[in-house]
Amino acid sequence: MRDPKDIIKRPIITEKTSDLMASENKYTFAVDRRANKIEIKNAVKELFNVEVEKVNIMNVRPKRRRVGRYEGKKPGYKKAIVKLVPGNTIELFEV
Amino acid sequence: MTVKFEKIEDNKVKLTVTVEAEEFNKGLDAAFKLVVKDVTVPGFRKGKVPRLIFEKKFGVESLYEEAINYVINNTYYDAVNEAKIEPVAQPVIDADFENMGKDKPFTYFATVVVKPEVKLGLYKGIEVKPLSQIVTDEDIENELNNLLTQHSELVLKEAEAENGDTVVIDYEGFKDDKPFEGGGATNYSLKLGSNSFIPGFEEKLIGIKAEEERTIELTFPEDYHAEDLKGQDVIFKVKCHEVKTLEVPELNEDFIKELNHENISTVAELKTDITTKLTTKKETEAKNHLIDTVVDTASNNAEINIPEEMIENETEAMINDTAKRLEQQGMNLDLYLKYTGGTKAGLHEQFKGQALKRIRYNLTLEEIAKTENIEVTEAELEAEFTKLSESYNLPVEQVKSFFPDTLALEQDIKLRKAVDFLVDNVKEIE
Repeated sequence: MRDPKDIIKRPIITEKTSDLMASENKYTFAVDRRANKIEIKNAVKELFNVEVEKVNIMNVRPKRRRVGRYEGKKPGYKKAIVKLVPGNTIELFEV
Repeated sequence: MTVKFEKIEDNKVKLTVTVEAEEFNKGLDAAFKLVVKDVTVPGFRKGKVPRLIFEKKFGVESLYEEAINYVINNTYYDAVNEAKIEPVAQPVIDADFENMGKDKPFTYFATVVVKPEVKLGLYKGIEVKPLSQIVTDEDIENELNNLLTQHSELVLKEAEAENGDTVVIDYEGFKDDKPFEGGGATNYSLKLGSNSFIPGFEEKLIGIKAEEERTIELTFPEDYHAEDLKGQDVIFKVKCHEVKTLEVPELNEDFIKELNHENISTVAELKTDITTKLTTKKETEAKNHLIDTVVDTASNNAEINIPEEMIENETEAMINDTAKRLEQQGMNLDLYLKYTGGTKAGLHEQFKGQALKRIRYNLTLEEIAKTENIEVTEAELEAEFTKLSESYNLPVEQVKSFFPDTLALEQDIKLRKAVDFLVDNVKEIE
């Protein structure tokens, strides 16, 4: 099994994910593109020492960005929304 | 919420209010909602910063001040009710800052001036000497004379002016053969014997006739206000245009017709009318005198230590009232003070005495109402509404809608009943 720190790359903190954290106990991470739900679940369990109820994952598509006449794209990533078993919280997110 | 209170001074109470953690957290939530509106953090729209980010970046402590305000606003009045005190001024608030925090109970201290205790003195059987309510012949005579004088007219007369007559004159004063300032006027109506001019002037005009010219030699009095004229000898040249005398109409039916009063056509009727008017006037006077005396005596007999703050508040309220009234007349306080030559401090001083009296009266009456178990009944309140609706000429329902809270009105009626109680228990002396 790969190192959990390689699977969970960083938390995603936006208005939307903040609401999810507060209301539904769901935490959002950018994860390795190759990871599946089970691996993510185990990684979160190991890293934060919490019980995970379920994991939803999705691929965020790369977005085109243009600077002047040069065109490129922002890389896409895999996003995982991890719902914890009630009673568990993750204290994280340094800003 | 738990409330403890202790007396620290006369009329001063210290409330210790402890609020549960839950309540304090609510305060924090409210504070956050308020503060976040003006906060920008990179990556978030203005006012949309998530709570989590906000607290990490600014610390929960930044919310404390607002949270304390919120908590105090929400709990202070309940605390006051629970402690059963009656504050008369804004409290001075202090808080236990060391032990405060999120998810922790919060304690604050409010030092507040309360309504003073009233120790009633004698208030039942106050001795009052009532004003006489009898209308005497003399009163009627005076009233008739007043009426006649009011309707008297100035008429021209050919004869010499006597004391009490009015002369229309041009005059000019000379000092060392030169006219001096303010020493002259034309077509001036002067009533002889009214003492409106310097001594001697009016006396020396007695006997003057229309179109007559006179030269008067006079000395200005030593205490005259103008420096350069004090004690100076001067000459006044006076020309008289008209001599008028006051003609008092005779009391007869012609005069009464001129008065044009309804249903009054004879002297006897006029006299009866005056008698009834005087009787009501005297009755009201006597009643007011009685009320004034009992309330005054009762409040003087009572022992009250009125706190300074209370007087201050009342005085302020009175000044504001005055200012508002002036504004309704198209004036304002500053302008009014300028005209009357007063200052704000002077006005304050002036009102302070009245305020003190008013507070004294009210406190005494309140205490009497309490001691005597004077309560306001539903019917009395209803009657008051009817009375108000009549005097404002509005439907009762509308008047009621002006008073969402009838407490002030009830208090009013209660105090009035207390006054009635005092009056009923008066001991009349000769």
